[in-house]
Formats: sequence, C-alpha cells, structure tokens
Amino acid sequence: MEIDRIDGRTPNQLRPLTCSRNVLNRAHGSSSWSQGDTKVLAAVYGPKAGTKKNENPEKTCIEVIWKPKTGQTGKSEREYEMILKRTLQSICILTVNPNTTTLVIIQVVNDDGAVSFKVAICCGLAESGYVILDPAKLEEQKMKAFPYLVFPNSVLSVLPEGSPKVEGELMENGIITSVTQGAMAVDNYFHCLERGRAANEKMSAFLRRSLQPQLPG
Amino acid sequence: MEQRLANSWRLTVNEKKFIETALLPALRIDGRRPFDYRNLTINFGKHDGSGEVQLGQTHVMAFVTAQLTQPYRDRPNEGSLSIFTEFSPMADPSFEPGRPGQAAVELGRVVDRGLRESRAVDTESLCVLSGKSVWAIRIDLHILDNGGNLVDAANVAALAALLTFRRPECSLGGEDGQEVVVHPPEEREPLPLIIHHLPIAVTFAFFGSESSVVIDPTHHEEAVTGGRMTTTLNANGDICAIQKAGGEGILQSVIMQCLRIATVKAGDITEKLKKAVDSYNTERALKKIKRHPSSTLMDVDGAHSNSREKQSPPAFKKATSEFPSHHTRKSNKLENVEGETNSSEQRNTTKNFIGGPSSWDPYSKGVDPDFLKASLALRGASTASKKQEVSKNEKMHGVAKLEETTKDVNEGFLPVEAAQAEQPTRGEKTLKDAVKPKNRRKKNQSSTGAS
Repeated sequence: MEIDRIDGRTPNQLRPLTCSRNVLNRAHGSSSWSQGDTKVLAAVYGPKAGTKKNENPEKTCIEVIWKPKTGQTGKSEREYEMILKRTLQSICILTVNPNTTTLVIIQVVNDDGAVSFKVAICCGLAESGYVILDPAKLEEQKMKAFPYLVFPNSVLSVLPEGSPKVEGELMENGIITSVTQGAMAVDNYFHCLERGRAANEKMSAFLRRSLQPQLPG
Repeated sequence: MEQRLANSWRLTVNEKKFIETALLPALRIDGRRPFDYRNLTINFGKHDGSGEVQLGQTHVMAFVTAQLTQPYRDRPNEGSLSIFTEFSPMADPSFEPGRPGQAAVELGRVVDRGLRESRAVDTESLCVLSGKSVWAIRIDLHILDNGGNLVDAANVAALAALLTFRRPECSLGGEDGQEVVVHPPEEREPLPLIIHHLPIAVTFAFFGSESSVVIDPTHHEEAVTGGRMTTTLNANGDICAIQKAGGEGILQSVIMQCLRIATVKAGDITEKLKKAVDSYNTERALKKIKRHPSSTLMDVDGAHSNSREKQSPPAFKKATSEFPSHHTRKSNKLENVEGETNSSEQRNTTKNFIGGPSSWDPYSKGVDPDFLKASLALRGASTASKKQEVSKNEKMHGVAKLEETTKDVNEGFLPVEAAQAEQPTRGEKTLKDAVKPKNRRKKNQSSTGAS
C-alpha cells in the first residue's frame, strides 16, 4: 500500500488525538474525542431505574443514542447504535446494577472519516481502547473496503509474561468487534488486524494516560 | 416506557423558597444581579457554518447546510430557511429522543420567527433559477447541555452559524442556460449569505411573589419561575418578535421596562457576535495565504498569547502554523508521538486537573502546558497552576521515556505514529506544531539525562 495520502501521512500513521473529559454539566459523565478533524462528543447518564421490555432484568441495559451532525437519524445511525451497544455490553460488567438502564449519547460534531467508534466513555464504567484504521473522509470514499476493529485495551503495557494466555494466544490480542464493509482478501484482513493491533497500543496508552490523573491509585 | 425510565429531576420546596426569597433583595443564586447575562462565548467549528455557543452552563451547537431545491409555488423567487431543533438527551435527563417535544418546537418557532419573519436572512438572494431552483438553508440546532435559557443561546448559535456559512457559487449553464452548475469551493470562492440585521433573543423570567424580573434564567430559576417572556430585537432597536406563552400576567409597564433593558442587552450581544465573526473571518482569510515558516520565538509568543485569549489573534496563529511541517516530520518521529499525545492530553488533563467548571472549547487552542513552561522562561510570570503543570510535565516525561523504549522493542517494521497534517495553512495545528521545537528541547534533555 504505497499510495500517497492527501494529508501526507504514511499508511501507518494515525492522526493526532485529543481527548477531554467532563465537558458537560448536566450529564453524569461526558467526554470529547477527536482524531484529526473528526470529532465526537459522548455523554453518559445512569443508571436509571428500569429496563426496556425485551431486555434481561438481571443485567444492566445499555442504551445508545447516536446523533448525526445534520439530517434525520436513519438506518446507518441505528446500525452504529447497535454495534456500539453490543461492544459496550461485552466490555462492561453488567451484573453490578441489575434492572437499570445506562444511557449513552453520541453526538457527531465533525465527520472527517472513521467517525464510528470514536467514542470515549467516562464515568467509571470501563476502560477500553477503540481502534480504527483511521481513514480520513476522502480516503474512505475511495477505499474499496474497510474494516472497523475494536480491540481490548491491555491493562499491562507490554509484558508478555504477565498476560493470561488463551489457547496459546495472548488474550489481549482478541478482537471485540469487527465490522467490515466491502470485499477484501483474507490476507488483507489479517494485515489490517496486525496494523490495528499496533495502533491499538498507541491509542490505549494515550487513553490510559489521559484517564490516569482521575483514577484512584 | 420512558416515564418509568426517566428519573425526572424535581426542585425541592426548600430550594424553591430559597430562590424566591433571595430574589427579594435582588440576589440571584449564582451571584448575578437581576439584569446580568451569564458569560457568553462563541466559537466556530472547522467548517463554515458551524457555531458553538456557551452561555454559562448552557451549550448549544448550530450547523447550517444548504441544498438546491424547488421553491414553493407561491414564492418562486425566494429560497427557504428551515430550522430543526434537537433537544439531545445529553442535555438533560428528561429530554427524550425521538419527536421533538413542546419546548423544542417552541424554541424552534421563536428562533425561526426572529430570522425569517423579520427578514433578517435575505431569501431572494437565494434564488438561482426562478421557479425551478433555489437554495434551501437548513439550520440544525443541537442542545448539548441544558443550563437554562436555551432560547437565547440557540438564537446566538444560529446567528453565528449563519454569519459564517458560505454557500457554493452557482451559475447557469447548459444549452439553453437553464441548467444550474454548482461550482465546488476549489473552483470558486463560496459566497456568504446576505443577512440584513441580527435579531437577538432576550429572555426574561418573572417570579410571582414580588413581581421580580430576572434576565437569562438558569435552569434552577426556570423551575421556579411563574412566567417567561422572550423578546427578539436587533441592535437598531427594532422589535422582531415577542413570545409570552402563558404563565403569570404581567403589567404593561413591566413589559415596557423589559423591552428597554432588552435593547441594551441586544446591543451588547450583537457586539460580541460581530467581534467573534470578524476574527473568524480574518483567520479564514489568512488560512488561504501560504506563508513561510517563521522563527521559534514567534511560536512561543504566539502560543503564549493563544493561551491567554480564548479567540486567538489571527496574525499570531498564522505565523506559527507554518513552522513545523518541513522540519519535524523527518526528524525523530517516535519522539513526536510522545510529544503529540503528551501535549494534547496534557493540555486536556490539566484542564481537568485544575478543576473548576467544565469549559468545553473544542475550537479554542486551550492552554498548552509545554508552552506555559517555555513562556515562563521568557516572561518570568508564574502562577500556582503553572507550577502544577510543570511538575506534571516532568512526570509525563518520565512516562514518555519508559514507553519509548518498550515501543522500540516491539515496533519492528510497523511504526504507528500520530501524524502531523502537512498543510501548513491549518491553523488548528498551531499548538501541536508549536510543540515541535519543545520536542527537540526534550530530546536534548533526555539525552543529557541519559549521558
């Protein structure tokens, strides 16, 4: 992949990340995350009493609302909501507050590509790292296919001895969510996984550092 | 279903009484006088036509977009203006997603009346081809945080977005001159909308007990208030709209007094709005000019002034933005990663570290602790907060070195870096760019530390 990217990045470069938390007053938790020009604002409310009809009352229900910048909410927003909800459900401990609902609202402030999954959640629910190949909007339109990958954030930075192994593979290398669009060869997919994993280290390190001052110990 | 989920916030009787009693000697719970506005900050987004307004704790964002459509039958020569209000659930736990509720519709109507019926936005200039093709302007108002007085904030946000919006230029082409050709911004400079005057909404809240009137109620005061009135007027003293929907009866003399006060306030807000838009426009114009990279000293000064002011003076910003692109990308990139992520999240974590009210300013340059440190050396000014940042700096540097070494081990052939956008004209990169010289200094420090 030796193409020249528009803003001069090499194929392996991420855009600069910024993250700030507690940006809203009414929301119980809020943060804003930006990667280059793409910017997303997230707010969390909860837990509220009661769960929706079809949800398991033994667990917390996570409700996600995705608000685009302009226009009506359509199918793609519903899709993002569903993906995000499933991802969050797999990383949060759901049995802590049974029969409650936690509301997560995402507002897209600026969309310059790779908007989905640019979410930073702060309210002590969980620490997680989200990874994307990070294409800018124009690149996204030209690309034949791209996968969205979500990796777990490793608690230990990079210490092979300490991490638990599952079937001979490091657990940190598991994938939480993978959504692909377009057709790609299997090799390319694995290639993307590799790169995504490397990028994940950076982003989770960044996230950890930004969360550190506020976490106890 | 939602009623059972929503834990609606209710004001207690004690709080109510406290607010009402405090108003008797003209004291408000946040310390303002009855006719004082909260702090108003206006920021703009990356693209034309996006404005973000912060009125105290209230946050509103507005986005303006335009599309070519067919005009209404009875107005073939006029474009249209439509306002969509989103009371996002993130603003208030009682806001529900889905169809806009009563308050949302009312807000949309008040803003709409101020803009359209007072002919503030010139719709005839939006006509491209009479009877066939006109521009339809769409304003999306997103309420992000409900701190009270959403109407005023939303109105200012809509105006800010409209003033900075640029629509693409189009001309008639084709065989019979009936085809509309829209020129992309690269070809022809997009045009601003024609706005004749700026209608500003000023909201008053009435409290029954002693006929106290306050301006710009917070959401605690709104919960106590007996009646509310929104007057929309412009700096020329013309009254564009008055909205008083129900609530207590008010004496005519009180209404006239309110209108007089509103005229003064509208003038103030118009001033602020114009200043903000002017500085944005100058920035925008300067962005188009490519400049040569300037000296390091300029960087530090520029960033220092950035840290002082919310709206960076365009001259400084432009001068500093050019500096990095040539040198730094080739230089030690790993170093840059740390510098990038360090500075950006340092900047933001120190915001949290300092605490206090959340000041979400995604478009302002914020305070860069690296630069405060550098500017300390230059200016010799220091505050306690800066010292905290400096100590944080050192801590972060320690972390940075550790991570660098582990990264070196593992990276191999996959260097993943935080990139620097190359266009030298991007003002937004100022602080990060400006961090680059600091990186070199850090490199020296670390090398001297190691040796």
